Amino acid sequence: MQPDPAILLSVLAIPFVGAAMVPLVYRLLGERTAYFAAGIAMLCFVLLLSQYENWGTVTVNWIPSLGVSLVLYLDGLAYLIALLASGVGVLVFVYSGGYMHGEPGRMKYYAALLAFMGSMLGVALVVDLISLFVFWELTSVASFILIGHYQRTPSSLYAARKSMLITVSGGLFMLVGFLILHLVSGQALGGMTFTLIGTEQSLIGIPGEVDNAAAIRGALHSAGLFIPVLVLLAIGAATKSAQVPFHIWLPNAMEAPTPVSAFLHSATMVKAGVYLIGRFRPLFVPEHVVIAEGWTLLFVALGLATMTIAAILAVGAVDIKELLAYSTASHLGLIVAGFGFAEVIGGEAGVFHILNHASFKAALFLIAGIIAHEAGTRSIADLGGLRRDLPVTAIIAVIASLSMAGVPPFNGFYSKEFLFDAAWETAAQTGGVAWVFPVVAVFGSVFTFLYSVRFIMLFFGERPEELGEVHRPPLSMLAPVGVLGLLVLGISISPQTAFNLLVGDAIGSTMLGEHHFKVYFPTKVTPPVLMSTITIVTGLLAYSVYDRLHNGIRRVRSIPPVTANYYYDSTIEGLGRWSNLVPRYVQTRILRTYAAVVLLSVSAIALGGYVVGGAGVSLAAPTLAAPIIIILCVAVVGAIAVSVAPSHIAGVLTLSIVGFMVAVFYVLASAPDLALTQLVIETLVLVIFLLVLDKLPEYYGELKRSRAVVDGLIAGAVGVTVALTVLLTTAAHPNDSIAHFFLERAPVPPNPDPVFVDWGGGGNIVNVILVDFRAFDTMGEISVVAMAALAVLTLIGMRNRGESA
Amino acid sequence: MTTQPTIIARTVVRTVVPIILLTAIALVLQGHNLPGGGFIGGVLTATAFALVYISYGSEYLVQALLSGAEGAEGTGAETESIQAESRFLSGAIGTYTRMFAFGLALAAGSGVVAVVLGVPFLTQAVALVHHVPIYKELEFASALAFDLGVYFVVVGSLLTILAVVGDE
Repeated sequence: MQPDPAILLSVLAIPFVGAAMVPLVYRLLGERTAYFAAGIAMLCFVLLLSQYENWGTVTVNWIPSLGVSLVLYLDGLAYLIALLASGVGVLVFVYSGGYMHGEPGRMKYYAALLAFMGSMLGVALVVDLISLFVFWELTSVASFILIGHYQRTPSSLYAARKSMLITVSGGLFMLVGFLILHLVSGQALGGMTFTLIGTEQSLIGIPGEVDNAAAIRGALHSAGLFIPVLVLLAIGAATKSAQVPFHIWLPNAMEAPTPVSAFLHSATMVKAGVYLIGRFRPLFVPEHVVIAEGWTLLFVALGLATMTIAAILAVGAVDIKELLAYSTASHLGLIVAGFGFAEVIGGEAGVFHILNHASFKAALFLIAGIIAHEAGTRSIADLGGLRRDLPVTAIIAVIASLSMAGVPPFNGFYSKEFLFDAAWETAAQTGGVAWVFPVVAVFGSVFTFLYSVRFIMLFFGERPEELGEVHRPPLSMLAPVGVLGLLVLGISISPQTAFNLLVGDAIGSTMLGEHHFKVYFPTKVTPPVLMSTITIVTGLLAYSVYDRLHNGIRRVRSIPPVTANYYYDSTIEGLGRWSNLVPRYVQTRILRTYAAVVLLSVSAIALGGYVVGGAGVSLAAPTLAAPIIIILCVAVVGAIAVSVAPSHIAGVLTLSIVGFMVAVFYVLASAPDLALTQLVIETLVLVIFLLVLDKLPEYYGELKRSRAVVDGLIAGAVGVTVALTVLLTTAAHPNDSIAHFFLERAPVPPNPDPVFVDWGGGGNIVNVILVDFRAFDTMGEISVVAMAALAVLTLIGMRNRGESA
Repeated sequence: MTTQPTIIARTVVRTVVPIILLTAIALVLQGHNLPGGGFIGGVLTATAFALVYISYGSEYLVQALLSGAEGAEGTGAETESIQAESRFLSGAIGTYTRMFAFGLALAAGSGVVAVVLGVPFLTQAVALVHHVPIYKELEFASALAFDLGVYFVVVGSLLTILAVVGDE
């Protein structure tokens, strides 16, 4: 069954409409806006539920002339991501109702969070690359506002800028990749397309019906662009999903209020990157291969490196949110690595872990928020024995952490088993260096186990003396955590149900061909089971030296060149220093420099255009009537007088001689409208000039010869350009149809109706053109006039108001 | 300019300004068929005010123009900061800015009317009315509304610039 276009489009629109309504709603409801926002998210969630298994494509033409259309595509993967975004959205908004109590900027917070949710739904649902890019960057912009929520805190600003710079620049790489795909699709499919999947003319085609992926891959290979496109897309995904070495923005992003972290860094923003990888997987991974060319090496290496490095860094974390942030990067690495394996089971690992990670990590972030809110600290060293103060939270924390650690029988275990399985199978079939994959996977998982246990230990052991009274969290904060805890439990108890309902279809979206997906609790000893056992046993043994590991990691991290942050910071600092040099040469604050640059570049462009276009000028002297020659001679005399005028006043007065002569010229050339305008404007300009001149010194003093020569040259160049332009434009005789049209249509028609629209109905063609035929131009011109007045008003009239003196 | 304009100048201005204004209005109205139009009329009107301004100063212009409507100076009760704030939003410049805002709205609005009637933005229509006393035949062009918009924008903008620059 096809999805309902109206419902899909409203799922996209409702969050943004809701965001626009927030200022109004906030005035009415105040803090309860949280529940309004939760209602919006709930509405999207329910609308999505109604489209269950209505997989298909919806196309809305947007700019038909450019072939740009809004293509929505609903399949298992898109559905999973959209459901997570709206479902976790509901919980996060409810939680915010308790958490954001008394925090500043709540109106902005709810509006931005709703807009963010809308952008994320857009990323999940649209499959034409242009709209996908737009929504992709919208998530970056919205997250910039959310991460920088505490605008007065420098660290918050630093974090917001960092995440923005990294994710947006990554998105630009991705855009280049999209454009290359668009160009290549022209050769491969006989027509260029921006649509990724779901139509006959799309890059992947319709799964099960039309397969274009092989043709696209072939065209990319023959153009030598296969690896470049792959790398460009990978950079986009890696920056968004915080893969090494772009993971550095994620820990800083913890400056955001905790519900934002829970939402952005468990279920949504960072999932956009892995979603993109899953979405493009059928394009780059052919059926029935063990190693997909380029793809496997790139994403498995990226994913496993991130998984391991981020897990190690998480062990070195001192703050519970920092620990969770690194852990998030690590788990995203697991998903990326899963997608990297060409095996079917790799896709299973990736997709199932998207769901599992969202369930346990959102719960853990919200628990971290409860701890920070109620205990007043997020420092791991200062926390312990919280189970007596927060009993319910403790139970959920234990469940979610064990799932995060990959301990059976919790859901995180199953997806990790898939990854181990995929790594083992790939290594067994390829041999050689590929054995690195399972080894690194186990090595990284040991650290995952370690920090998960450390998180559990916040609730056990001795309660530090300094820890003050810890309150019970309000229901609005506890209930969402409970829902997520139940979700973890539910998937853990019956993973096959999750597969049948949601995950199976989503895995199907990440690969070509038909498959049947199964998940079950292992009862035999297989390599993956062995790998899990090794992970857990080693983890348990290593936990006794956790503190030593922690200190060791911190010591290594204190050497700046080891950390990726060092390179980010020095790059930004270098760029800042470099851009400070620019104003010295460009922003000289001297009007004459600006004028010279503008005039010379306009002249250069115009003259260059004439040269390239091969324009020729006939030097045949036009015949001029005697009065016109006299007038022009007077104008020339006036012009010469301007340049030798001894003072400003004399200069302005002689300049107006030129102006008035031009007006007379217009009269002689039978252009009364122009003459009138010129006369009146000339008068007015003279008056304004004289008013201003009163303020200026009589003259600047002696003129330097060198400067006079340079100015003369500039003026000469501009003069030559203008003269050439006039000669060229007047010599040109395109077909006269426009002139004829105006002449014909401007007056009243021969046998007029009482009311007519097609004819100008005026005797003055100039005016009819101005107000009728070309009224749109005039509209623009009067806007400019109004803008000029506003500019004068703000620049001169209000310059003493603000801080700019 | 510290020197005062002469009596002769003031007297001439007093006589000439109404004539200029009348000419300006005529130019706007006849623009469709004879030389003229909103732009020229607007600039001419601004010139007339510029003459008054030069001969009599800005205070006089404001009083003559806005007698009673709103004074150039804030009332004594207002604090100085509010005066500074409101100086550009009320008084002479405020009127001028409102004038060009009105002009823009009029021009754009005349275009929107066309959209409401189902034809493209800014399409103009002409209506001919016969058997009118004295004029016999009168032509109403919807373009006149647009032209009036142009007129107000030009007058408002130029007077704003003139007043701001003159204040210096």
